[in-house]
Amino acid sequence: MVEPLISVRNVKKYFDVGKGKTLKAVDGISFDIYPGETFGLVGESGCGKSTAGRTIIRLYEPTDGETIFNGRNIYELSRHEMQEVRRDFQMIFQDPYASLNPRMSVLDIIAEPLDIHKAYKNHRERYNRVIELLKLVGLNEEHAQRFPHEFSGGQRQRIGIARALALNPKFIVCDEPISALDVSIQAQVVNLLKKLQKEFGLTYLFIAHDLSMVRYISDRVGVMYLGHMMELATSEELYNNPIHPYTQALLSAIPIPDPEIQRNRHRIMLEGDVPSPIDPKPNCRFVDRCRHATERCRRETPEFREIKENHFVACHRADEILRGSLK
Amino acid sequence: MSDMTYTKDMFQKVKRESYHADEIKRPTIKYWADVWRRLKMNKLAMAGLIILIIMGIMSIIGPHLSGFDYKEQDYSQVNIRPNSTYWFGTDELGRDLFSRAWLGTRYSLLIGIAAALIDFGIGVIYGGIAGISSRKVDAIMMRIAEVIYSIPYMLVVVLISVVFSTAGSGTSMFVLIFAMTITGWVPMANLVRGQVLQLREFEYSMASESLGASKGWILRKHIIPNSFGPILVNVTLTIPRAIFSEATLSFMGLGLQLPKPSLGTLANDGLAVMPIGLFYQILIPSILISLIMFSFNVLGDGLRDALDPRLRK
Amino acid sequence: MGKLLEVKDLAVSFQTYFGEVEAVRGVSFHVDKGETVALVGESGCGKSVTANSIMQLLPMPPAFYKNGQIIFEGEDIVKKSDKEMQKIRGNKISMIFQDPMTSLNPTMKIGKQIIEGILKHQKLSRHEAKKKAIEMLELVSVPQPEKRINQYPHEFSGGMRQRVMIALAMVSNPELLIADEPTTALDVTVQAQILDLMKQIQDKLGTAIILITHDLGVVADISDRVIVMYAGKIMEEGTTDEIFKNPKHPYTRKLLGSVPRLDMDRNESLHSIEGTPPDLYRPPKGCPFFDRCDKAMVICKDHMPNKEYHSDSHYSYCWLNHPMAKAADEGSEI
Repeated sequence: MVEPLISVRNVKKYFDVGKGKTLKAVDGISFDIYPGETFGLVGESGCGKSTAGRTIIRLYEPTDGETIFNGRNIYELSRHEMQEVRRDFQMIFQDPYASLNPRMSVLDIIAEPLDIHKAYKNHRERYNRVIELLKLVGLNEEHAQRFPHEFSGGQRQRIGIARALALNPKFIVCDEPISALDVSIQAQVVNLLKKLQKEFGLTYLFIAHDLSMVRYISDRVGVMYLGHMMELATSEELYNNPIHPYTQALLSAIPIPDPEIQRNRHRIMLEGDVPSPIDPKPNCRFVDRCRHATERCRRETPEFREIKENHFVACHRADEILRGSLK
Repeated sequence: MSDMTYTKDMFQKVKRESYHADEIKRPTIKYWADVWRRLKMNKLAMAGLIILIIMGIMSIIGPHLSGFDYKEQDYSQVNIRPNSTYWFGTDELGRDLFSRAWLGTRYSLLIGIAAALIDFGIGVIYGGIAGISSRKVDAIMMRIAEVIYSIPYMLVVVLISVVFSTAGSGTSMFVLIFAMTITGWVPMANLVRGQVLQLREFEYSMASESLGASKGWILRKHIIPNSFGPILVNVTLTIPRAIFSEATLSFMGLGLQLPKPSLGTLANDGLAVMPIGLFYQILIPSILISLIMFSFNVLGDGLRDALDPRLRK
Repeated sequence: MGKLLEVKDLAVSFQTYFGEVEAVRGVSFHVDKGETVALVGESGCGKSVTANSIMQLLPMPPAFYKNGQIIFEGEDIVKKSDKEMQKIRGNKISMIFQDPMTSLNPTMKIGKQIIEGILKHQKLSRHEAKKKAIEMLELVSVPQPEKRINQYPHEFSGGMRQRVMIALAMVSNPELLIADEPTTALDVTVQAQILDLMKQIQDKLGTAIILITHDLGVVADISDRVIVMYAGKIMEEGTTDEIFKNPKHPYTRKLLGSVPRLDMDRNESLHSIEGTPPDLYRPPKGCPFFDRCDKAMVICKDHMPNKEYHSDSHYSYCWLNHPMAKAADEGSEI
């Protein structure tokens, strides 16, 4: 049995939004990430996936829970110890236009992690390392002297990836890295990420709302809704045999780029919009939009449990759905 | 196109070793170069800049141009209107107003710029720390700043001047500057704090943090450099305020130590002889003050527009 | 005829401090009554500029019409003054945008905004206009319209706001609706609802739609015809079936191949296109896709390909169509 690289245990992140109200962005999620895998985290706006990603690498301080890396809970580490751990944890951000400091040259941007951790002996070494990283992401030496605004979104994202790789990390959180990019550039970046993963044995937490892309790149996928994890399974299993009603609706809503198939699909339409994560009641978060909701769903938050091998669901009626007695 | 002759080799596949598609064709334009270019397009701001440059030059060489020393008193040449010997006329002690006016400009500019720079220094440090700290620390720091700022400015200045000055002969330059900056740094601190609060949420700040940077690092490397725009604008607009404050103090008799002139003390002196119709003595320093204020203001406005990313052409 | 809108050789450029940027470089297409035409392409291809030109919504300067005509109901829009355009906008041609939050006035109640929209082009009493406003909200499936008519935009969710936008746009029953990335900012479940709504409205009112998007799934869902743009020019056009089943242009093929599909094998690789689209500041003389095309030939660099028809409705601009091109890549994947 392979040991997980990272274990997330009941992590919560609440925000105080004034007037005594609490925004429960992440409300108790638990899962493991294994070395070398890509773990996909999906959900629609407000589900808490971005917050989850940032809390896991301690960019936000958690309200509760543990994240275990190398046998230790990283939330208990001192600032100095955390500094060391940060060399192994990196992050790639969504907005290629905001994640690079417009006043810094590409050289300085990519070298920043090296500067912070004093990871080189002299300027030559620093420069060479940056050029090496630029080449890894498909850019070249002449780009080092330029500034972010001269690059396209896809190129900037590649610069962000180069920066994340500078310290040879083990684990990279990709927070919607491709949402702001054009379709063909998305493919470029995703292919690059896959290639780098193979080459360096990286582990990814891939956060996105584009389910087709997540399915493609991830080994296992977790579906979040309003701060809770609704379902978790391998990519294949999740997309072929979704159990949770939300997952089913989500999958049927994704348009397939094939007019014939799209025309003939049976779609599960969800009514209404995603509700707010402020001061939620102790119910199943999906109760207002679920077509199988019962009284119990309104009163009691379902347990996130393993219903099939390696397939977890949080739904009171999961067994019925699995048996096929619910349509 | 239809009458083009086609040959076989036109349809040969192109071999590629590398794609040129990632090349960047446009010339690099550095941030400040772009700002300068945009500023240049603003005629009013450029006028202000030119006026300031001329006044700056004159404040350095002016006092030496007329051949008269600024404190030299000639009782035979009292209160003479501007003529070909005394280009700005003389005052009631027979001193050459041309040299005095430009020397006064020099001191006024020095005081104004010094006060603005000190405000800038304190403000940036204080505002930067407040902005990057936790909410509690920030709240405490800003409350303190507010209290300081709510003390009536004139009261403070007068108190300090009175305490530190030698009676009757005005205040030394240091005391003057100290008095003006003791509360003047608060608006700058507020501005910087606002910038920091905003920029720390930007993704490049977060990226830096995720790489292990300390708050100080993020402040120094990311936030302050990106705040320079609004800060610079604020500094250029603070200078005229400071000069005007000094002029006001001089008007109240708390101005620069005699016999050093400042535009304010000159205006004050000129006020005394207004009733006897010698208007030039107050007009000249007033015009100079106005020119400085006007120029800094239009320059500051122009800078603000030139820095505004939305107005980018 | 049946042609509602005809764009002929449209060229739109922007005057910038370092020179002219040619955003749209000779685009021709038409839209028939009641059909949905999708303008597909990636950022910078000129699709938004084209759409905004139809409504004359571009700031002029720095934009200017370099060439071409836009014929709507027999008249050339390019030649119209802003005053004349005001009679058309919101009335005969309407537009909805990606971000409903910025298109709606946050300080005005929703009802008021709709009523204003109605009164601008129709002679009705306030009372009648209010009734119509409620009808419009019903049309777009906003629940409890009589109550919600008194609410402000921020009280609506993203999906609801987009519905209100659509209601506003449909108030005068326009012939043509231009939808610029209407669902890009929405969650996928909400997107499905909005697309469904647009289909319903088209069925009910016979509105023609120009849909601008980069999402091929959305295109497959609701469009009848597809126009593929790249670097300010049209690369290929055809019915939705033709484009998806039988794409001729290498760019179209790569685009289709770069989209991960729910029903594809995870081990298949995604086609990506190396590099980035050309800068339209000094646009390339020949085929704009030359730099990134792996089927490029010598002739492609300096000469723009001719238009070649593959069926009555399907054509593409590519030198591979030329009989002298040796590459025979029908059916085989790139």
